[in-house]
Amino acid sequence: MEFEVRLFGPAAQAARADRLRVRWASSDRRPSPRELLAALGEQHPAVGFALGAARLAVNHAFAADSSRVSPEDEVALIALVGGG
Amino acid sequence: MSVLVAVAIVEGAILAERERMLRSSDPSLRALDRATDGVGARLRFEGVVRGLEEGRPIAALDYEVYEPMASRELARVAREEAERAGARSILVLHSSGRVAVGEVSFLCEVASAHRAEALAALAAFVDRMKREVPIWKRVIPADGA
Repeated sequence: MEFEVRLFGPAAQAARADRLRVRWASSDRRPSPRELLAALGEQHPAVGFALGAARLAVNHAFAADSSRVSPEDEVALIALVGGG
Repeated sequence: MSVLVAVAIVEGAILAERERMLRSSDPSLRALDRATDGVGARLRFEGVVRGLEEGRPIAALDYEVYEPMASRELARVAREEAERAGARSILVLHSSGRVAVGEVSFLCEVASAHRAEALAALAAFVDRMKREVPIWKRVIPADGA
């Protein structure tokens, strides 16, 4: 399974990309948001600095830890925000 | 009593004439402006782009906004904090894109029966917005580097 994660702000600048592909080894079990976040950090160390207090948004809403992410979902890394 | 909430993302700086136009054209903002029953305090906060960032002169801030999630989260956090504080209404405008030094990039207006509720709602909302709402800012240095 493969997922696309959208990036913004400092994470996008560090990765020099506005989205990254993340592989998920299991074909019969979809990852939780936390598992996908961990896989993102392992496969793309450039964004590791941003993951400490990061959350994943799935289809424009913060994802609950009990949920599962599908490859068709729009996934976004919400980290180091700074409005105002 | 339910809280009235109005949120809008504005391209560029929140200029007075743009704010007037929004207030007259957006139904949720018009409703909020008409809801004056029981209101004894109206608090207005404007966030202005500072000329210095970490001691260095800057020309502007560039705001990146993840829509529609940002608008939804602004509305959710605004409603929660206004309700918690007992405020009557809350209006939030936030810029997207480039805003020059000295211009307004964020506006929050809270109305309540007494000043304490409006002050509490504003402070709590701004704190949470800076932690939870998907908006990022990038510094544009004054020297163009």
